[in-house]
Amino acid sequence: MRRSRFGFTLAVLAGLGPAAMAVELNVSAAASLTDALQEIVRAYQTVSGDHIVLNLGGSSLLARQIEEGAPADLFLSADEAKMDALAKKGLVLAGTRKSVLGNTLVVVVPLDSQLRISGPKDLAAGSIRAFALAEPQTVPAGIYAKEYLEKVGIWRRVFDRVVPTENVRAALAAVESGNAEVGLVYKTDAQISKRVRMAYEVPAGHGPKISYPFAVLAQTRHPAEARRFLGFLASPPALDVFRRYGFLVPAGSAAKP
Amino acid sequence: MNLVLRGLKLPLPRFTLEADLELHGRVAGLFGPSGAGKTSLLELIVGLRRPTEGTVHLEGRMLADATARRFVPPERRRIGYVPQDGALFPHLSVRQNLLYGAKNSDRASRLVEIAAVLEIAPLLDRGISGLSGGERQRVALGRALLAEPELLLLDEPFAGVDRPLRGRILPVLARIRDELRVPMLYVSHEPEEILALCDDALRFEQGRLTAHGTPAEVLAEEVLAVTTTFRAGTGSPS
Amino acid sequence: MSGEETQILGFTLGMAALAMVAILPPGLALAWLLARRTFPGKALIETLVALPLVMPPVATGLVLLHLFGRRSAIGRFVHDRLDLNIIFTWRGVLLAMAVMSLPLFVRSARVAFEEIPVRLEQIARTLGASPARVFATITLPLATRGLTAGLLLAFARALGEFGATIVVAGNIPGRTQTSALAIYQLIQLGRDDAAMRLCLASAVLAFVALFLSERLLRRRIS
Repeated sequence: MRRSRFGFTLAVLAGLGPAAMAVELNVSAAASLTDALQEIVRAYQTVSGDHIVLNLGGSSLLARQIEEGAPADLFLSADEAKMDALAKKGLVLAGTRKSVLGNTLVVVVPLDSQLRISGPKDLAAGSIRAFALAEPQTVPAGIYAKEYLEKVGIWRRVFDRVVPTENVRAALAAVESGNAEVGLVYKTDAQISKRVRMAYEVPAGHGPKISYPFAVLAQTRHPAEARRFLGFLASPPALDVFRRYGFLVPAGSAAKP
Repeated sequence: MNLVLRGLKLPLPRFTLEADLELHGRVAGLFGPSGAGKTSLLELIVGLRRPTEGTVHLEGRMLADATARRFVPPERRRIGYVPQDGALFPHLSVRQNLLYGAKNSDRASRLVEIAAVLEIAPLLDRGISGLSGGERQRVALGRALLAEPELLLLDEPFAGVDRPLRGRILPVLARIRDELRVPMLYVSHEPEEILALCDDALRFEQGRLTAHGTPAEVLAEEVLAVTTTFRAGTGSPS
Repeated sequence: MSGEETQILGFTLGMAALAMVAILPPGLALAWLLARRTFPGKALIETLVALPLVMPPVATGLVLLHLFGRRSAIGRFVHDRLDLNIIFTWRGVLLAMAVMSLPLFVRSARVAFEEIPVRLEQIARTLGASPARVFATITLPLATRGLTAGLLLAFARALGEFGATIVVAGNIPGRTQTSALAIYQLIQLGRDDAAMRLCLASAVLAFVALFLSERLLRRRIS
């Protein structure tokens, strides 16, 4: 099994024995990280002895909860702006913020679609009546999608056909069910669906830079343990897992911290 | 009975009810057309409504004093009240209804005694839903009596009961008066009942007392009209 | 169904049941006051109680988060003095469920109380019963059917609570994750089969509660 081999690799590479005093770390994490994170956390707990409690939700909600003093030791955001807002309020532990993950936008169509789409120009075709995006003003995936469409100059030709959805997964569902002919979603989401195919991937450089900032929060009572877990998330074994789930891991950050 | 109402006032939608009277007999009859404020007057006495002015005293006890804003709650007035519809508790049996307000000491023997007087002994273990109108009223009466009131207010208790049955109930009320010796204030718009039962009569119209005296005096007008029925029926006035 | 799914359903049922225990005393008191008393500010209280019924649940959740978060006076008091954590704990789940289902219970209970003739309560008073005894022996027994129906309705609402819960209690698997939160997360992760299993189980539970509630109400009318 993948997991056990991973656990073994982890123990060897990280060189962590069970800690003398196991602590509990509350981690507020963007929902899109769930699968990869759960796999990493399971392995980390067995070797470090610390207990990781994941609170999974949309980045905006998580940030809001932290602002209200909700107990969290780390914040793993899907959106730089949300982390900026917390940093501005002094809620982020100085020097701990790092962005090690990226994501890519992909254009998806239903599995049985007859549409030929290979580049941005095809997206403006008249045969496309519904274009599914996450809500382009508040949801990060939607903001990124709009940014890309503006950059390639077709936003004004498609915006009246856009179906905004509450989150990126709902945009994917709209395409899966055939209610939208085309969708623009994260590659990580497109990968988990068996009922859509990727028409094309937005090439690096053409789209907005999508990154996931991680940081320890100033209110933590276990700064050392929190830093250790954060450091671990950026370590090669963890990045391998993220990569397997479709996240973009820049070559530079894959080096051992 | 010694019931004293002084300068009592209660504003009602169509008029202000006013009462200033003393009652001393065994059974007083309150006579008047419907809408005259008779029920409201009873509610003032029993404590379900508060007067804006005036006082209520029963046997020398202060029950209400509007000026001093002191009102004894209904549960401590020791006044029984039997409304028009009987208002039996639908979730309780006849026995449970009767015993609801009974004092603990000799409740069993009191229950037997009162059930016998009211002729409801065979009904004790029945539910409420199957009772006839007359049975309901007698159970309501028995329930009020078992709480051992110092005064019993009867608000047209047999208004919904047909005439022949009323003829059988009046003697029951007379037994309550004579054997159980509970003073009563009896509201009715049937002159014959008041003539048969009461030593004292009040005529109430538009929220005001318009006559007070013996039943024969107060009901002189009506007596003439009902003499025929009255002879054929229930007995003679005192 | 997997062990994890059973745990989630058990947790959700337990929390909803506990929420019913929590709302019963204040709910009965509020419903009785609204049904039987007139007092200054009654309209205001009525509106405040009904508010969570029409406000977006997430907004109610934000209000609760603001009130009980550690940056507020109440939140600090509860945390520092009573040593209780509400945010991100089962207590947060309980709080969200209770606040969101209270209005439904109060509305049903109020109707149940209003349907009882005041006359019966008044007569009980003249028979020597104190207001408390009248409530216990007349009002409560006569309203039982309506109250139970209202409680079942509130219970069904609590079972499905999502918006306020995710804000106040977070979505922590094994700790604060109710079936509604789990379904949402499973759909987001593309695990539609597990999501459907939980949906089905939740639908059955809610159906049973609502069916019983409707039956009680219909029997009362007939």
